[in-house]
Amino acid sequence: MLTVGSLSRAELEARMSGAGLVLRTGPFANRIRSDVEPLIDGVALMYADYPVDPEGGFVDFHLDFLRSGGLRRWVRSQVHFAYDGTTPFQPLPLGQAYPMLEWTMNWCVSHRAHGYLIIHAAVLEKHGRAIILPAPPGSGKSTLTAALLGHGWRLLSDEMTLVQLDDAVLVPLPRPVSLKNGSIDIIRAFRPDAVLSRPVEETTKGTIAHLKAPRDSIARAAEAARPACIVFPRWEAGAAITLDPLPKARAFMQVADNSFNYQVLGARGFAALGRLIDASDAYTFRYSSLPEAMALFERLALGAA
Amino acid sequence: MMRLPLLVRVLRDPAAVRGLDGVGWDLLLRQADAANLDAFLLVLLEDAGLLDAVPAGPRAHLEWTRTGAAGHARAARYEVRQIRKALDGLDVPLILLKGAAYALAGLDAGRGRLFSDIDILVPKARLAEVEAALMMHGWITTHHDAYDQRYYRQWMHELPPMQHARRGNSIDVHHAILPETAPVHPDPDSLRACARPIAAEPGLATLAPADMVLHSAVHLFFDGEFDKGLRDLVDLHRLLGEFGAQPGFWDALPARARELQLGRPLFYALRYCPRLLGTVVPPAVQAAVASEGPRGPLLWLMDRLFERALLPLHPSCADAFDGPARFALYVRGNWLRMPPMLLAQHLFHKAFITKHNESQAA
Amino acid sequence: MWRVTPGQALACREWDGEAVLYNDLSGNTHLLDGAALDLLHALRDQPADAATLAARLADHFDAGDDDLVALIDDMLSALAGLDLIESC
Repeated sequence: MLTVGSLSRAELEARMSGAGLVLRTGPFANRIRSDVEPLIDGVALMYADYPVDPEGGFVDFHLDFLRSGGLRRWVRSQVHFAYDGTTPFQPLPLGQAYPMLEWTMNWCVSHRAHGYLIIHAAVLEKHGRAIILPAPPGSGKSTLTAALLGHGWRLLSDEMTLVQLDDAVLVPLPRPVSLKNGSIDIIRAFRPDAVLSRPVEETTKGTIAHLKAPRDSIARAAEAARPACIVFPRWEAGAAITLDPLPKARAFMQVADNSFNYQVLGARGFAALGRLIDASDAYTFRYSSLPEAMALFERLALGAA
Repeated sequence: MMRLPLLVRVLRDPAAVRGLDGVGWDLLLRQADAANLDAFLLVLLEDAGLLDAVPAGPRAHLEWTRTGAAGHARAARYEVRQIRKALDGLDVPLILLKGAAYALAGLDAGRGRLFSDIDILVPKARLAEVEAALMMHGWITTHHDAYDQRYYRQWMHELPPMQHARRGNSIDVHHAILPETAPVHPDPDSLRACARPIAAEPGLATLAPADMVLHSAVHLFFDGEFDKGLRDLVDLHRLLGEFGAQPGFWDALPARARELQLGRPLFYALRYCPRLLGTVVPPAVQAAVASEGPRGPLLWLMDRLFERALLPLHPSCADAFDGPARFALYVRGNWLRMPPMLLAQHLFHKAFITKHNESQAA
Repeated sequence: MWRVTPGQALACREWDGEAVLYNDLSGNTHLLDGAALDLLHALRDQPADAATLAARLADHFDAGDDDLVALIDDMLSALAGLDLIESC
């Protein structure tokens, strides 16, 4: 199987500046074209283990990241994203090109893939039990995710939990884990083995870096999982670790509130979320210590919390 | 005429999708998306019994549009219901136009067709009351700039579009189908007199079939905004297909067009629908509108312009895949279109209805 | 007199005395407690007014709810505001 890592840098650049690199992420084929160095660097590092689809096949999403032309090219280099010939977003400084790739890949899925209920949540699996971690920004969800990946958990997704509509099966979409600001240093310390992209500063979210997904998670991207728990995490300095059951109807509403396309899906989304809630124990979770969190999640994985 | 893009070939003959390879499907879907016809493509293929033969990759994309279309239809229905409630006490005849009309009247043209505004037609004399009633029920005017307000109210004699403060959906209140500054004046009283009630929807009406066709033709050929050109042509094709089966429709159409001063747009509609989409028009009707068209050199020019402008706005329609590129189309997709009708609806009511009366509506 | 608004299928899921309900007309989802859900189900069986509902559902409410009819009236108004029921 051809992976990004098996292409030479020259081949990678040739594909990305020509017909495009067709990168497979979970169920989706993404054709990526770019002439922007920082983006190509990001792809080469973060997506080394990902399959490259042969040319001539069907592609789900077409993404072009090109240096903006005109006078601005000399004033301050920018990259703009074009989805299949149209430009939906403002251009950004070149240095932000790789995070831009990640954001726009998320955007493509969340705006189009209405064959799934798409929850803004991380989802990880261990011992056959999948745990969904919905969380608004700032809750420490990605730090927790990044830490768990160093403790044998399989990554299904960091940002987008894909729930199949008719049977509530969770479909993996393993991609790099985004870390912000202080989380970057925390994870560097907690997981010295972790491969991180070059931190990018001054984005609207502060400083951003991405953590490479474990090779095993990528290799098992076709292996769906069944939900076992939904955990709403919150990191609070000095907090004692607590795991409190959340009534299911309330959990339903909170998950719906954290979904990209629940509203679009209408009655089908209602039914799908109902099945998900049926299958899962829901909790709110407070913690301040990562090692304690790791131990608690281990018990959840064993069904013993 | 130049070789037609893949999407147009499929619209003319859905069976053309048989034998498309991965790249072909890819191109078809991208053209459809650019033309705002992706949801319609699903309807077209399903009606033709071709859906099961679509390979898994493109089939998933087509199925994704089903959800959006269903949600949109529901939201449109709900929005119209709220408008009807707001205008209930006024005893104003409420005529729906364009997308909302097709959807609520259950017309074929409404299936797989998404739109972002509700358009209604009310008598000019009642405009102020209608605006006031809408404001009482949560709609607010847009275009707050004094210049824009003047543009709409004094020059175009229209209300600026209104937007519902909570739901975010827009309503355009018209009193005529063309602005007073337009070169022709289809009589709104005549349009209203011929309006048809929607059987399943008390209090709602649409324009008469001929008038619906003429209204659609007017906006396609007068507005000059062709980014939705092919989609609007498809509307016309579907309306003509559905109404053409009704007795007397074709016979009366040319005369009605003349009566409303809309002979020229009808001429273009009956010229370009058959040319691009293969619409079947009785020869007698073509003969009857022939005199409404421009002559010689101007007709030749309009043919070139419309044929280009009505194609899907997609880079592929000007590239080598489908044959020699003969013209450059500017690419201005409608990717930024809001998911129509759905955006601002609050996800869930915070009103928790309990016997202990703790409801707090959000 | 009240009835369930035509077009409302009252798709709902209930767990431990609380329920979520899908509003077919507005597309919204509502959080209801068991009593509100019982009201809706009762109205689906047959249109009724507050007094009839109070009699029919008396044992679904706490004994301490003094003015049950008034309470139910309030709940009915709230449900009507959501287009789940309408007067008839």
